[in-house]
Amino acid sequence: MAESAQANTAVQVRDLTRAFGVRKALDRVSFDLPGGAFLSIFGPNGAGKTTLVRVLTTLLNPSSGTASVCGSDVVTEAVQLRHRIGLISHNPLLYPDLTAEENLLFFSEMYGLDDPKTRVRELLESVELDHRRLDVVSTFSRGMLQRLSIARALLHRPDVLFLDEPYSGLDPHAMDILDGLIAQIRGDHTFVMISHDLDKGLELCSHALILARGKVVLFEKREEIDVPEFRATYRATVGTGVA
Amino acid sequence: MKRNPLAEIMLVLGGLLTTAAYFMTFFWAPPTAYPDGRVDFAQKIFYFHVPVAEASFLVLIFTAYYGIRFLMTRQRIYDTKAKIATEVALFFVLLTMATGILWTKVEWGVWWQWEPRLTTYFILTLAVIGYFVLRNSTEDEERRAVYASAFGILVFINAPISFFITRWLESIHPIVFGGGKGSGLETTMLVTFIIAQVGMLMLGYAFYQLRLREEEFKERVEALKIEIGG
Amino acid sequence: MKSNSWRQFKAILRKDIVMELRTKEMVSSMGLYAILTMVVYQIALAEAGESFDVRLVMPGLIWVAFIFMSMLGLNRSFVHEKDQGCIEALLLSPVDRPVIFFAKATGNLIFLLIVEFLSLPIFSFLFMQGRAGYGNPVWLLAVVLFGASVGIAAVGTLLATMTVNTKGKDVMLAVLFVPLMYPLLRAAVGATFAAVIGGPGSVETFWAFMAWVVGYDAIMGLVAYGLYEFVIGV
Repeated sequence: MAESAQANTAVQVRDLTRAFGVRKALDRVSFDLPGGAFLSIFGPNGAGKTTLVRVLTTLLNPSSGTASVCGSDVVTEAVQLRHRIGLISHNPLLYPDLTAEENLLFFSEMYGLDDPKTRVRELLESVELDHRRLDVVSTFSRGMLQRLSIARALLHRPDVLFLDEPYSGLDPHAMDILDGLIAQIRGDHTFVMISHDLDKGLELCSHALILARGKVVLFEKREEIDVPEFRATYRATVGTGVA
Repeated sequence: MKRNPLAEIMLVLGGLLTTAAYFMTFFWAPPTAYPDGRVDFAQKIFYFHVPVAEASFLVLIFTAYYGIRFLMTRQRIYDTKAKIATEVALFFVLLTMATGILWTKVEWGVWWQWEPRLTTYFILTLAVIGYFVLRNSTEDEERRAVYASAFGILVFINAPISFFITRWLESIHPIVFGGGKGSGLETTMLVTFIIAQVGMLMLGYAFYQLRLREEEFKERVEALKIEIGG
Repeated sequence: MKSNSWRQFKAILRKDIVMELRTKEMVSSMGLYAILTMVVYQIALAEAGESFDVRLVMPGLIWVAFIFMSMLGLNRSFVHEKDQGCIEALLLSPVDRPVIFFAKATGNLIFLLIVEFLSLPIFSFLFMQGRAGYGNPVWLLAVVLFGASVGIAAVGTLLATMTVNTKGKDVMLAVLFVPLMYPLLRAAVGATFAAVIGGPGSVETFWAFMAWVVGYDAIMGLVAYGLYEFVIGV
């Protein structure tokens, strides 16, 4: 799975528009992201970053234009697409009253995994939460929650991982752990990350995208980016504020 | 934005027809009488009450219709249309309630009676008010439109069930309050009634179109603001 | 695909039941509410005197208690989906939206029935001792409770999914829920009355009311099912 994802275009977006009435959350957004890439999406609040990710993860339908992830169209092939994506958000997206193991087993059932018990055990070990697997999630620290939520996102071996400001609200230690985890899985996945933190986003990415008022202001490979110039572009978009 | 002369014509015509029907009610349509021979003057309200009630339900059809259209297409205009239809429906529903209460007072001597039609309309009033409360307490625009559409459809389907169950209850309970209105309408009564009904529907249409135009203007202002801002 | 949906249905339902067993949030708050309502009923009926036949108002009283307590539970059932954004994770998984509807509605129905079947005997114990008993076999009551709860759970699940995203969720649910519940409640009270009072023809009346209940469940349940996909997606 991973190899094929790297060979092809992982995310393809063509003239994607998402509008309600006269307000356009996304305005003719187009870009191609090769498999194995790490895309950081920057932009001020209300620029359409979350909307873009929600469209790519099939939670919202586009008003016009097309988008596909791993070759599956977000509208017509939503179910296949969902099998191939995972989401790590600043919200843990875990049930606080269930144990770590129960949470993962629940989501394994939702994905129809074949041998959920083994898979869950394996993942809990890899995020070093095996010793807490029978504890209720509400007793977990922020960093542990984030690790468990990464395990949840990886359950069904997705090809593309969406990260929605995963660093927000984390203490430095938890950030280091998250860095480590991302480095670990980096080779096998394509990443799309929404980020507020310019340094962090640039450090991790292979491609960068700046959105402002629903439009693509800049889409470049990391090696082509001139950092000071990039900062200036970014600051200019922040100035425009919310559409 | 193009003007809609039809809406203006309908407004004038509807006004004329309902006014005409009002005079016909009192000077042309013959009075009905109770079985004991007394003149049933309260029956006159029937020429206003029934057209309004029927108009309110007809307008609710549009709430449901545009609700479905919205859910299928996600075009904001359909939600706006559904909202305006519901506003017009609320107007008619309130008029129905008011005239219904007046009739109850004269006919049965009490202001309120849990009579099938009144009960149904009371529930309907609450539901239609609920529709607007729901709109006001949902912040995200698209979410508001989806929820309102869904609720509008539910109300539209629920209203006849409410009506028929109260009617059916009346049929299995002893009839305590006489409700015989005299069957069969004389031609003059029928003509008066039809004119009132047509006039009321024209007014409903005109209100709807004029409100729609207002909303379209608002939309344009909104669009201009966005343009200037960019 | 079919068996997958069934697996997902069971998983969501099991998860809700496990969470409820652990926190006892819904059942305990609904149960407590039902008991408190009975205390209020005692006050409401205090001046009516011993000669007053409580059976005449009992069907109405229990349905008042049930309808308000069901709203309490319905609200709860979505608050924990919403709290940590879990609903988003659920929607991201390859699950057909109607599966979520059926699973949530079934869970709500189960919790509702548990509290109803626990509080009805308490009501009888507190108000009906030493008075004329039930006019018809008690299992008829079980039939109404089940029939009406299906409608409450179906419509309530849809509405609670919406109101959890609004300002003032609890009040909002009541504002939307009660008008839509009118025909169902009316029929449920009628059927309960026929079951409690008895007398000639009461069984026929009971089933006539039950036909309304079933009709409401079928129509409104179907509509709620049809609308769910739209409502949960935004």
